[in-house]
Amino acid sequence: MKDHTEYADSLALYAMDALDNERERAELRQHLGSCGECRRELEALRSDVALLALSAAGPQPPQRSRERLMQAIAAEPHHVHKVKTRFVLGRLQPHWLRVAPTVVTVLVLIACVALVRENLRLRTTRDRLAHELMQQNSEFALAHEVMQMMQDPSLPRMTLVSAKTAPQPQIKTIYQPRKGHVLLMANNLPQLPDDKVYELWLMPSSGAAPMPAGTFSPDQKGSVLMLHAMEDGAVEAKAFAVTIEPRGGSRAPTMPIQFAPAG
Amino acid sequence: MSGTQVSSQKDEVALIARIREGDESAMADVYDRHSGIVYAVALRVLGNTSAAEDVVQEVFLQLWRNPQAFNADRGRLAPWLAVIARNRAIDLLRKRPMEEDIAELPISTGVNLEDQAAARIAVSKVRGVLAQLPQDQRRLLEMAFFEGMTHTEIAGKTGEPLGTVKTRIRSGLLALRKAFT
Repeated sequence: MKDHTEYADSLALYAMDALDNERERAELRQHLGSCGECRRELEALRSDVALLALSAAGPQPPQRSRERLMQAIAAEPHHVHKVKTRFVLGRLQPHWLRVAPTVVTVLVLIACVALVRENLRLRTTRDRLAHELMQQNSEFALAHEVMQMMQDPSLPRMTLVSAKTAPQPQIKTIYQPRKGHVLLMANNLPQLPDDKVYELWLMPSSGAAPMPAGTFSPDQKGSVLMLHAMEDGAVEAKAFAVTIEPRGGSRAPTMPIQFAPAG
Repeated sequence: MSGTQVSSQKDEVALIARIREGDESAMADVYDRHSGIVYAVALRVLGNTSAAEDVVQEVFLQLWRNPQAFNADRGRLAPWLAVIARNRAIDLLRKRPMEEDIAELPISTGVNLEDQAAARIAVSKVRGVLAQLPQDQRRLLEMAFFEGMTHTEIAGKTGEPLGTVKTRIRSGLLALRKAFT
């Protein structure tokens, strides 16, 4: 790489457009792009060249030249010239262009910091979601196993009661109020005539009328497993009760309550 | 010479602003002030009055069309026009296509040619410096500037080494600079 002082002689020729070695011109242009001192020297040399032009002073153009010019100008369409910005090598650059590299560097650094922070945030979110997914998978596997065992009629089932007591009908409900889903599990239910079914009722916390929560019939062993979704979705439940209703169910209880919450 | 013509750089800025607004009288003022040096340079390069007149037309018409090409903050109009005229004339001499737009050349010399007395002094000073240079060195400057020869052509014509041509041209220009600082 040449020192900029080694370009001095070439600069003088460049200022006069007399440097015809394309390789030298390209090298000089590249150097000028990064050397302020040489750009200033080029401007000074161009001014020196302008002084050289003064040596030609003397002859004056004929009067017709002025008339010709003014006629040509008058024939030109009138227009207001808009200032346009052009950048020429060696010329002082606009202030914003001089500070542009610094501004760009700062912006890039800010962007990098923001990206690193965003990356960390995303990693934390990913780890949390992975942990939640693992937990959900584990819970789902357990629930799946429970459901499979409860739904498989071939598995031996036993309800253990006090040795001194005959097997009693028993109904258990689990309610998910956020979704309005109720799970019913029953054992030892008496069989019903063909035109009758058991019907589960949801007693709203609001004190409103009981809401139908599904009809069911026990299998041969008196067992039932039913998952029912409330028609109105999420409803706050105070209690559940079971009545015997005509097959197809009722919109409101028509018979006395057969099963109610214990206690 | 028009009585409205001014010599200060501030008024030169105002003249250019008027030209931007399409003021023909401002253009006439600029022509009256500077057509002499523009024509003289073109004539010196081309050696033909008709061709020199064409260059004068071309230079001033381009200034009318694109006055913002001249940056008054960076120098005076006269030397700038003189260099533009020289470049145009060289293009014509070498049968190179002219650019449609005048170039923005940063020429920051503060030499004032608008005042006739000052202009005479400046011209005399330049000629004095050139006269002080060895004849062959002066010839190198003339070949490069007024004849538009490249340094390779100059070296070929004079028989001087390329490096010597470069160095002598630069030292000639520096001698001119020294006379005005």
